[in-house]
Formats: sequence, structure tokens, C-alpha cells
Amino acid sequence: MASEYGKERIPGTPRHRIDKETRHGTEPFFPNFLLKEWIVGSVFLVAFILWVIFNPTELTERANPADTSFIPVPDWYFLFLYQLLKYFPGEYVTIGTLVIPGLASLALLLVPWLDRRKTRHPFKRPIATGAMMLALVVMSWLTYEAHMQHEAALGKLPKQDSLPTIKDTAIIDPKDEGAQIFMNTCAACHGQDLKGKVGPQLLGIGNKYDKEKLLETIQKGFPPNMPSSGGLQDPKQVEKVAEWLAKQKQK
Amino acid sequence: MLKKTYDWIDERLNITPIWRDVADHDVPAHVNPANKMSAFVYCFGGLTFLIISTQILSGMFLAMYYVPDIVNAYNSVKYISDEVLLGNIVRGMHFWGASLVIIMMFLHMLRVFFTGAYKAPRELNWVVGVLIFFVVLGFGFTGYLLPWDQKAYWATSVGTQIASTVPFIGKYIQILLVGGQDVGAVTLTRFFAIHVFFLPAALLVLLALHFIMIRKQGIAGPL
Repeated sequence: MASEYGKERIPGTPRHRIDKETRHGTEPFFPNFLLKEWIVGSVFLVAFILWVIFNPTELTERANPADTSFIPVPDWYFLFLYQLLKYFPGEYVTIGTLVIPGLASLALLLVPWLDRRKTRHPFKRPIATGAMMLALVVMSWLTYEAHMQHEAALGKLPKQDSLPTIKDTAIIDPKDEGAQIFMNTCAACHGQDLKGKVGPQLLGIGNKYDKEKLLETIQKGFPPNMPSSGGLQDPKQVEKVAEWLAKQKQK
Repeated sequence: MLKKTYDWIDERLNITPIWRDVADHDVPAHVNPANKMSAFVYCFGGLTFLIISTQILSGMFLAMYYVPDIVNAYNSVKYISDEVLLGNIVRGMHFWGASLVIIMMFLHMLRVFFTGAYKAPRELNWVVGVLIFFVVLGFGFTGYLLPWDQKAYWATSVGTQIASTVPFIGKYIQILLVGGQDVGAVTLTRFFAIHVFFLPAALLVLLALHFIMIRKQGIAGPL
């Protein structure tokens, strides 16, 4: 064999050295096997490119450190770690940040020394197989929980586009006492033009709710972003704001 | 002509033995998908490497336009997506590729685990593989901030705050990563440097070790 190697200088496919009868299915790495792997790779790449074309990457708003209403969430592959933290609040936080992930990482690194028997078939080493299956189930469940809790949190956010688009953007009765209070406090989140910033748009809110409903909504607030009564101390002020907002019947 | 060129180089550099080491070996039947369909699970490692290659390439092209400072980062990413020829495809490849690397690498790891291929004498290759896994997760964590959009900013703020809860060294980790108390201009340049210099260097060394070891030891035999 070795002498035959010397005769071909460029490593191609020395087909003559494969005995098809005794070594069925064995192939030279280059180029036979590599070409077959490239076929798999090409199909994979085409599927990947199609996915990329039909799933454009999004870019949210520019980073804004002042806007704390954004609900942060890590990439999907960190979700299980993120969820784990939620079960260890306060002084136990290091169990979630350090102890459990550290032990799991260490166990993963040391797998060859934790499972030293010669046998390799997954069914013949039930502890190793079972442990990995359990880890998979726990990780999937944590990821699912994190996803559902994030969706729920998003659902609780005030809807930004619950009102139809308003064409007439003139604010009604800007000299009103309620308007003054609004501009001094509420406008920080809802905008001087009522078009909404952190909080939702309030232009045309009068089309949807009357004074009583508005009063009730303001009093309740939207925790954690909008405190009850919008942070106003005096109930009379809240009433004036509600009264003024009820007048906002834009088209 | 090709043969003459090869001979000319080979006479001077003696590359044939190197070539032989890299490429001229038999691949056993049990990992050959052409031989048995279920052997496709042995392709996961190769596909992971393929996607890592596309990540490196698409990342290099993104670096032609990307500017790592807080004034321009967001705009440069927007420019890549909206104006540059095929920029949205290259960015999309880099974005989705990040998830794909994780998926393929995880599947590769599960294949190695369930076939017990980490057992003696391949323990070291498993350890290097796990280290590659951690490096790739580091790529994900540092790459997330670079577009400097809301999602990136807040995820990184939370992530670095979590790192700061580690006892004793937590606040030093945070200072090292964030470059101060709050995520800001220094954080962006730091994450960029880690993402395009530190981690790729580590990854290439680890991958080289991974591949050298598999050539030295060969693929584990059939179950």
C-alpha cells in the first residue's frame, strides 16, 4: 500500500486500494466523502438562504437609556438561564447565577470522567442517557416558561395603537385647567402633543371613553410603568385631567 | 499545467505529506450517509463548521460598513439593511446564522454524547468541544449589543447586571465588560473588540485543536 501511495503525487482518489468486498461503504475522505458532504452542505445552505430571504432581520428603535418601559429579553438560547434566575430572588440570586450554571458547566466539561465505563450504546448506560434527557427536558421547559412569561408581560403593556389613526391633531381646549396639569406631569410619558411616547397615544381618547371610565383608568394606572392616579396626589386634579381628556374627540 | 505547478511547489516545500495527512484517509462506513441514511447525524459537526465559516465571512463583510460607536452604530446597521447592495441578506445571514450555529453545535454535541464518542481516548476533544460551545455563547452575548437598538441595549444591561451579582468578583466582571457603571459608549467598543478580535482568536485555536485531534484519533467506531 505504502509503495502505491508514493506513485501518485497529487492525492486524488486511489480507487484501486479499496477492496469493495471486504470494506463495504468505506470511502476516501478526499474527494469522494468530502464531495458528498458538500452536497449535504449545499442543500443546507440553500435552505438557510431561503429562510434569511423570507425572514428579514428586524431593527428596533435606537437604544434609549431613558426609556425603562422596554421589557428586556435575552436571545432564545439564553432564555433558560434567564428563567432560572427568576426562581432565586434576593439573597439567593447567586444560586441561579453561579452555583447551578457553574455546576452544570463543570459537569458538561467533565462528562468523560463522570462516565468512564467502556460501553458506548446509549441504552447500555442509562444514567448518562437519563441525565442528558432530564437536562434537555428541564432546559426546554425553562425556555418555554420564559417565553410564555415574556408574552404575558408584553400583553400587559398598554397597547400603543389601540386608537384609530387621528387626522385632526389639534388639541381641544388647551387652556383648560386639566390641560395645565396634564402638560406638567402626564405629558412626560404621553407627549405634549398627546401622541404618546413611553405611554400610549391619548389623542382622540374621548371618542372611546367618557369621563367616568377615564377617571377610573387613571386612578388604577398601569403598573409598573404608570403609577395609580398617574402620580398625582390630589384627587381633584385627577378629575380635572379626566374631564379634559374626555373632551378630546378628534376625527 | 496544474500538475507542473503542483510539482514546482512540491519540490520546494514538500507539501505532499501534509496534504496526505489532511485529506488522504478512509472514512469508515458507519458515518457515511451515502451508505446508510441514518448516518446523517454525523454531518452535524461539518455543518456547524460550514455555518461558522459563513458567520466569519458575513461578519467580515458587515465590518466594512459597521461603525462601533454609539452615535453611528445604529445608523450604520440601518444603512447596511436599507441601502447596501444585498446588505439585508448579509446581515440576515449573520443574525440567523448565530442561532443556527447554536442549534447545529448542540445537535452535534448530543450526537457525540449519545454515541459515547467522548470516551477514552477522546476525552480531550470533548473538553475542547465544550470550550468551543462557551466561546460561541460568548459570540452570541457580545454580538447582541452591536446594532445598538433598544432590544440590544436592554438585554445587555440586564445581562451585565446579572454578571455583577457573582460574589466577590462580580463587580470586577461588570467593570471589565461594561467599562463603568452603566452600559454606554465604552461598553459598545469593548463588546465589539471581544466579538471581532478576542473570541475569533480563541475560536480558531480551539477549532484547530478540535480538528487536529480528530485526525490524530480518527472517528469512533460503530456502536
